[in-house]
Parts: sequence; C-alpha cells; structure tokens
Amino acid sequence: MRWLSCWRASLVLVLHLAAVGAASEQFDEDLTIRPLRDGKLSARFSFSTLLKDATPRDPQQLSSDDEAQHYTLFPLALGQILREYAVTELHLTLNAGKWNYDAWGYPEEPGVGTGAELWAWMGESIPASVDQRWQGLRNALAGLFCASLGHLDEQRTTSPALTFQPEGSLPNFTYPHQLRHATLPSEHVCTENLTPFLKLLPCKSLSGIASLLNPHRLFDADWHGLGVHVRYREDVGVEVRLTFQAIFDPVRYSQEKRRDWSLRSVFDRSIERACPVARSSKVRVELPRGPSPYSITPDPTAIIDGVATYVVDASEEALDVAMRWPTEDTFEYPNTSEAPPLTELSVRRTLKGTNQAEAQLTLVITNNLPVQVTTGYLETMPWLLQFYLHTLRAHVNGVARDDLVSILSYTPPVPHSRPALLQAVLTLPPSSTLHLTMDVVKPFLRYTEHQPDAQRGWDLPPAVLVPFAFGEGQNGTVAAAHGRRPRRMYTPIMLVDLATPDFSMPYNVIIMSCTLIALIFGSVFNLLTRKFVVVRVSPASDAQAAAEQRQQQR
Amino acid sequence: MLRAIPAIRRRLRGGGDPNAARIRRRQALANKAWQGLPYIRIVLFTVGYLWLLAIPSSQFGQRTYIDENALQPGQVHTYWSWNDVHRADRVLEDLERLRDQNATSNEIANYAVGEFEKIGIPARIQHYSFDTVDGVLEGTNAYAVMQSPRASGAEAIVISASWLSRTGEGDGTLNLRGVATVISLAQYLKKYSLWAKDLVFVISDGYLDGMQAWITTYHGAAQPNLHAEPLTLSSGVIWTAINVDYPGHSFSHLGIFFEGLNGRLPNQDLLNSVSLIARHTGGVPVLVHDHVDPRDTPNTPSILPAWLPEALKSNADVQEYAVRARNIVRHMNYQARGAASGVHGLLHRFRIDAITVFAVPATGPHGFHSLGKILESSLRTMNNLLERLHASFFFFLLVGPGTFMKIGSYLPSVILVGTAMLFSGLGEWVNAGWTLASPPPLGGDEKTEKASAHTSWVQRPRPVLQAVSIMAATHLLGVLLFYALNSGLVPSTVIFLLFAILPVLALQLVSSPAPPSAPLATVLKAFNLCFASAVISITSVLNFSLAAALAVFMGLPLTVASSSPSQPKRVVKYALYSVLALGWLVLCPEETRKAIWNWEVLEVWFAPFICIVYTPLVLQAALACSLP
Repeated sequence: MRWLSCWRASLVLVLHLAAVGAASEQFDEDLTIRPLRDGKLSARFSFSTLLKDATPRDPQQLSSDDEAQHYTLFPLALGQILREYAVTELHLTLNAGKWNYDAWGYPEEPGVGTGAELWAWMGESIPASVDQRWQGLRNALAGLFCASLGHLDEQRTTSPALTFQPEGSLPNFTYPHQLRHATLPSEHVCTENLTPFLKLLPCKSLSGIASLLNPHRLFDADWHGLGVHVRYREDVGVEVRLTFQAIFDPVRYSQEKRRDWSLRSVFDRSIERACPVARSSKVRVELPRGPSPYSITPDPTAIIDGVATYVVDASEEALDVAMRWPTEDTFEYPNTSEAPPLTELSVRRTLKGTNQAEAQLTLVITNNLPVQVTTGYLETMPWLLQFYLHTLRAHVNGVARDDLVSILSYTPPVPHSRPALLQAVLTLPPSSTLHLTMDVVKPFLRYTEHQPDAQRGWDLPPAVLVPFAFGEGQNGTVAAAHGRRPRRMYTPIMLVDLATPDFSMPYNVIIMSCTLIALIFGSVFNLLTRKFVVVRVSPASDAQAAAEQRQQQR
Repeated sequence: MLRAIPAIRRRLRGGGDPNAARIRRRQALANKAWQGLPYIRIVLFTVGYLWLLAIPSSQFGQRTYIDENALQPGQVHTYWSWNDVHRADRVLEDLERLRDQNATSNEIANYAVGEFEKIGIPARIQHYSFDTVDGVLEGTNAYAVMQSPRASGAEAIVISASWLSRTGEGDGTLNLRGVATVISLAQYLKKYSLWAKDLVFVISDGYLDGMQAWITTYHGAAQPNLHAEPLTLSSGVIWTAINVDYPGHSFSHLGIFFEGLNGRLPNQDLLNSVSLIARHTGGVPVLVHDHVDPRDTPNTPSILPAWLPEALKSNADVQEYAVRARNIVRHMNYQARGAASGVHGLLHRFRIDAITVFAVPATGPHGFHSLGKILESSLRTMNNLLERLHASFFFFLLVGPGTFMKIGSYLPSVILVGTAMLFSGLGEWVNAGWTLASPPPLGGDEKTEKASAHTSWVQRPRPVLQAVSIMAATHLLGVLLFYALNSGLVPSTVIFLLFAILPVLALQLVSSPAPPSAPLATVLKAFNLCFASAVISITSVLNFSLAAALAVFMGLPLTVASSSPSQPKRVVKYALYSVLALGWLVLCPEETRKAIWNWEVLEVWFAPFICIVYTPLVLQAALACSLP
C-alpha cells in the first residue's frame, strides 16, 4: 500500500511538472526517412524544443545580472551559453562525408558542408563587442560538444551576410545584428560529439525517436552530421532544434545486396517506447516513386502526399518500420551518366596544378534546368590560398563569357590573420556548363604555423552556392516549383599542399644552414676587414739563409 | 723543452715578415699540389671508377625497413575470398571475349565503365589523342571514382591497370588479368566502409599514353600535343597509387617496378610496405623488377658469364655480386634514360608515390587469390596514411628486394670522377696561362742557367673568348640537332654526317690566336672539362644513374682528349670523338626513336639533355683534338 501511494504521489508530481513544462516549453520530435534512387537511405532526426514567449538576451544588458531562467525541457547547458553571450541565432553543424547532391538531392537540413560550420547572428553592443562574444561562444561550444571549435578563430571568421540570412527573426535591439561565420573542414565527427548532443535531449537516447541514435550504426553511415539550430521566432519564442542527418547504405549491410531496410536493420534498434514529454513524435517515410513495387510495414497512421506518417506515442508495441521491394533479387544501381541529377545545379570544385607555389581553382557548374538560373557564389578562403582575382575567367562551351559573373565583392585576405571573402552572382545559361577558373598562389608559412601533421596539407572550406532566381523557360512550372526560400549548396572541400620543410630532421637543417651562413659571413667579413698591402717575398731559400745568418751572428 | 718552442715556431713561420712567410707557404703548397696533380687525378679517377664497380658488392647495402609508423603494413586481416576470385574470372572471360572480337578501345572502355556502374561506382570514359612524329596516337580510358563513406573526398588513392602490359616495355602483351583484378577489386572494396580516402580506378588504354592523358588532365597540366577530353568525375589530392600488371596465366613472384619519369623515385616506404605485405600476407616472394634469383629457383640459367672459371661461379659473393649488378644495371638503365619502368612512373611528376606490382608470368602457384589479398592489404596500408609519405628515402638504390643503399654510400663515386675532371680542367687552365720562357738568343751558358733558375715560366694570354664562343656554338648546334631529330624529316645518317662535319667547317671561321697567346685547344679543353665536371656533379644529386653514365662516357675520354702535331692523327681522333658524341644516331636508332617519343608524349628530358648537353660536350673535346 505504501508503495502504491508513493507511486501515485510521484505520478502526480510528474504530471504536474509536465503540465508546467507544457505551459511554457514544448518538445517535438520527428524522423524523416527517404529511400534514395541509388539504394541508399536518408534519415533525418529533428528534435525541437520551443521556449515560449522567450526573447534572446539584449547584449546591452550583459553588464547587469540576467533574469533567472528555469528550464524543464529546454537544454540548460545550451541555454546558459545563449544567455551568456547574448546570441540571437546560432547554427552549428558537424558533418562527415561528402554530400552527393546529384544522387541524393537537396538535404532536409541545408548545412552539409564537410567538417564543422558555425554561424551566429548577434546584436552589437557597447559592453561586449560581437567579436569578443563570438570568441567566447565558440570556446563554450567547443567545450560543450567536444569539438575543436576553438580553432574557428579570426583566421577563419568572415561575415557573408547575403548567403547566411537569419532563419528566424531578429529582435529590435539598440544596435543592429551582425553575422559571424566560420568553417573548419578538417574537423572529424564521431561519438564524442554525439554523447554531449544526446545529453541535450529531454529523453536522452532512452526513449522516443532518439533511441534509434545508435552510435555504432550512425558513424558507419556513408554520410552523417549533427546540427544545433537556435532561432528566435517573433511572438512565439526561442526555438532550439537539434538535428541528426545520415545517409545509410542498406545494400552494403545486406548479404544479398538488396535495398530492403527496416529500423532494426539500419539502426540495430527499434522504437520501444515513446518519449513521455514529447508533444508530438512522428516517423515519416517518403514513399518511393520508382516503378518497382514495394511494401511497407506496419500500416502507417496516415499517408499524405506520398509520405507515410507513423505517430510514435500511439503505438502500444515497439515500432519497427520496414520497407521491402519483393520483386527485386538484388538492387540494380542506376547508371550515373544517364540518371538526371536531382538538383538544379551540379557543382565540381577542384584545385589544379603541379607545383607548390601556384595552382588554379576550377569551378564547374552545370545548370540542369532548361531555364536560366542565377546563383550566388561564396568563397570564404583562409589566407592559405590567395586569389589572383584578375585571372577570374568564365567559359561556357569554350567561349569566354565573363559577363556571366556579376556583382563581385571581394575582401582580400590579410596574411597570418584574416581570410578572404569572395561573393559573386553567376548567371547560368539554360542546360549548359559554366567553367570558372582563377589562378591562386600558395603562400609560404612561417615554420611555427605548420600543423603537427605538416605533410598532410591544409583542408580548405567548401564554397557555397545559393541558386535564387530561376528564369522563365518554355514551361513556367519549373520556375514556379522553386518559389520557396533559396537553398544553399556546399561544394566538397579541398586539400592544398603548401611548401613544407622537412620537419623530420630539423637539426640537420639547422646545422646545415648555420654552416653555410657562417662560411659566407666569414669570408665576406674577412675580405671587408682585411688590409691590402704590398709584401716583398724573397724566394724561400734566401729567407732561410738569412735566418741562419742571423742565428750565426747571435 | 721550453727553449725548443721558439725554434719550432721559427721553423714553421720562417724568419722575417710573417706576411711574406705566409705567402711563401701558400706558394709552396700550391707548388706541391701542382707537382702532385697527375697523381691526385689518377687516384680520384681510380677510386671513383672502382667505387662505381663496387656498388653491387655484398659488403655494401643495408636491410630495408618501414620508417612511417602510420603505415602498419600487413597488420590487417584480409577478406578477399575465392568468391571474389570467381568474379575476377568472370570479368576475365568477358575481357578475353573482347580481345577475341578485336574490340576497339572504345568498346573495351565502355565495358569497363558498364562494370563499374553495375556495382554502383560512377564511371566515365575519356578519349584522347597525341600528335607525335610517328602519327596520331589515340585511345580511350575508363575511370571510376568510388566516393568512400564518411570521407571528405579531399584525398584519393589510385588503383590502375593499363590495357597493355609492361612486358617488353609495352610490346603489345595484353594485361587482361590486371584489368580484371582492378574491376573485381572495385566490386569487392565497395563492401567496406573503412576507406578514409576516395578510391579511383583507372583502366588506361595503351601502355603509357593512356595514363599520361588521364593524369595530366586530372591535374590540369597542359600538354600542347595532347587532346584529351576533360574529366567529368573528380576527386581530391592523390597521395599514393598502385598499378597492377598481370600479363600471364599465373605467377610465381611479384616484381616491383618503381622507376619514374626523369629518374624520379617513389618514397621507399611504399615499396617496402608492399613487398612486406606480399611476403607475409600473400605468401608471394618479391623481386626487384622481374629478375628471378637463379639461386632460389632451380632450372634457371645462371646470370654469370660462361667463360668465368668454375671456382668463381660457385663463389657466393660473386653470385651475389652478379644478382645485385643485374638489378642495378636495369635500374640505372631506366633512371639514366629518364624512362618509366611502368605506368606508375607517370604519376611521380605530380608528387604521387606510385609503384607497379608485376606478376611475373609462370606456371604457378599464385593467381588472383594471392594478388587480391596483397592489393587489399596494400590499400589498407595506404589508407592508414594521415600525411603524405615523407619519412624513409626518396633517393636510394634498391639492390635486392630487401636490401638497399643510401645515397651517401653511392653518390661519392660519381662526385670523385667529377672532381678528377675538375682538377684536370684546372690543370689545363694553368698550363694554358704559363709557358716555359725560351732561352735568350744571345749569351753564354752561365747566363742561360741563371735565367732558367729564376724566370723559367712566363705568363701568356689565354684566348678565353674564342673558347667560350666555340662552346656556345656547339650547344647551339645541339639545339639544332634536337629540332632536326624532332622534326623527323631527315634520316639519322644524314644528321650524323652533317653534325659531325659542321663543327670542323665552322672552326675554320675562328681565327687562331697569335703565337704568344696559349693554343686554343688547351683553353677549350680546360673549359670543357670544368663544365663537364659541373654537369656531372649537379646531375648526380638529381639523377644518379644519368650522372654515372656521364661519368663513364665523358670522364676519361674528355680528360685524355688532346691535340696532336700530326694532321692524320688529329683527323682520326676527331672522328673517334664524333662517333662518341653522335654515334647513337646511327648505332641505336630504335633507342633514339624511343627517346624522342618519350619527349613528345611523356615530356622526358633525356633526348634534349643528350642533344643539348652531352653531344656538345663531347664535340668540344673532339674540336680540342682537331685544333693544332
């Protein structure tokens, strides 16, 4: 009896707390699964927590004490950082792999650049400048997510405000908001980043959709990335959205080379129980449009526009969504040269050249649409690669078309301190390929500036393309379909070889150069300080004879 | 005791003015050196040449070892199984069918692309054509880029096979099993998510031309006579590459070929790792090139010449010497000519460490199974790299599969020969500047004796300008010779006669210096020797084999070149030297053609070097002989 009453009391308490939480905070989780045409499977987890009626901290009030914050669902560790540095909007992504836009289409979460990317909108203020808070923010996040975000220093920080527009709204503070953006392409993402990420979730990975986040499987995926997105929605509140996106390859897992998948086969787990504090918890599966018949089990709660939805809290037993293609013996890969790309643009960026001083940056953009496309082009290049802007050339089918590059803005790099920022608008003629080339120089580093793995070279951040205007073609539908918000496309990262000394034998090098300098200095000094006089030299025998004579005289 | 010190000091410094004493001492030293010069030269030459001969000796060399810790060769379990071998056999059947149908390059490349696409690896073809003296060289490459899971695509490993095997330096033997290995390996490697770098598979057409077209296009290096389609798939920086050559039905040994264009070598760690893996994971014995050691395998003909006495033939040291010498001579033959010993050699220019693994044709016991395991494990080792290969050695002489020589142990041989030439040249220079004063026409015996005792040597002007212009003219002639060869219009016999006679005719234009100044021949020889010595010494660091060849061909001949009072003797000498300078035009036309092809298609510097540096230098010696 006593146990029962105790149980009841605690239940009441939980319900009460849940009610309080529900009043000011709400938590929604969502898993979107999308079978891809190359047999792969895209999965996107989204956990969003809304702090109702909250506003970002006004940076002008940073000198005075902050008002008390009480969170039940909202991640406290993150909330403290946001308040401490008065961040209005924050986006952090940690990705591994190269997103294949042609075969996978646009990702659900646009930030798919390889490595770490952090950008934040912050209000300017007198007591603490944006740059000071940016430094504090990246160090705090580095600690929170166990990532080398501290390296996102001023050598990598830019402010490309056109490409990275705020996704929420910016409150009216005393001073306008500013953007800080930095990428670290060499950052590796692994389980040490996922553990702190899971800690920010109200149900951790114990229940609900988050229970599928099995690190053994996630980090074996062809592409995976986690993201933290904070934005302020006017009249609604502050929203934190934690996302995890991955591309799995069921064909690789299967012995028979089939593309059938289930939650258990992909994640090695199924959803055993729902997260009790989640307002909504849904699994959405985009149904394939291909000709081969498929089956999906169990029956979805609803099917809307080719998307099957499963509501997790309603199910009594464990949810294990499975999809199979019964008529397929083995999966047949589509021919990549014949299958049309799934995005409007296909981009390749390469660094060509054979020496350690100069190279050529080549950007090849194919417009897959029958209409003209206008796209923004952004390079945030550390000073490790310096552009010769006057050599920027555009070609279409071998014909020079420099008129296709317009509204070029360029902030030159400052060696050893600031990256370059290149923004341009490119006009892509219908169904054609634009070749953009530019000569670049590779600077000479100070020997202390080399990384510990000096012979590796340097990873360079991805370029970003934002196709924003689609001209009218023969069929107006193409243009109409893209009436929504412009989406970013990230190019793959690059590796650049800079001239590197042989660090394996520094002492040999030091001794050798010191000897050379000593020799040269010695001879020059000797010549400079020598006095030239005429010396009368008698033959040696005479001198000896004279000496002997002198001795005899003595 | 103490009293002795001033005496010693006096003895050393001499009396009187210390400056004068110093100058005297210097003079005495120079005198000594001058008197000893002939001996110094002989000693330097002897030691240098003997050293060259001693390089294959078993006393030299040390065991190879892995220097880069990240490589961890042979530390993985390989999963390549008989199923994969079966698949390779299937691909081989298809390839044999294509061969029997006399399929065009296009059909073969399309077949390869189809196979790659079937397993889900994007693949494309690339057409190319080279304009050469012998006509247009066309072909089609197939390549596939496997985007590795989780990898950023900034780094890549290349696995390649050319359609023609390197057997007989591309004599037309097909590399069917090599191509089959690469295609089936692609199929197999795709199953794993452990690749940290993209894997690029290249099936190149022809022997060397296909890969040259592909790799230059990949790096955007323009080549005026190459028309190649741009690549539509790309990946990142290539650090390492492995080329598979498997021409026979089975193989007994795995040969490692590593010499690249223009004498470049890959990092030694790469070949050490692959040979370690071949021995331990694959159980396949490793060879340098395709030289089977006659001591390990019975029924192989001995490599020692038949005329050697039996006692020497059975001597272990002599046998070891012969085996090593064969490896070194083969290596030097590739390196000196700047030729690639396989398709891998084309990649070195782009800072890619690459080797060819050559399955030495035999009746057994190894086949796809061992080769697949070796390649899988080797790729895993390359995959481990976090940095470029930079430890270990880039300059080495691989005398045996497990033995090598460091640069310091072989470089001095050539440098010594170069130094001997330099001393000879300086000696000639001094000779040119001084002459024995002729005794005064009048006066008695006493006077003459006194004159010879005090002013025996007088200085004379040296015709520097004429000598230098003759040298410049011969080098210009070398440039003309190079263009004449490149045009391919004139037969080589005509070129030989023309360029052998032209210098003598042109020499008539140069006015002989007036009697008091030194003879032109001496000054020319002095400059010629000094320049040749500089060329040899500098080349030795870049391309040891070429420098060694130069030391052999120019060292003694240039030093002994001298004028002669009799006209017929001079003509004979001139003829001999012009044969040394230009004889290759007539004696080895095939080699000449190959060198020109290498220059045109692969940009190998050997042909221009011979025409513009070597031939003029020997011609200068010939002219020095022909001058009175």
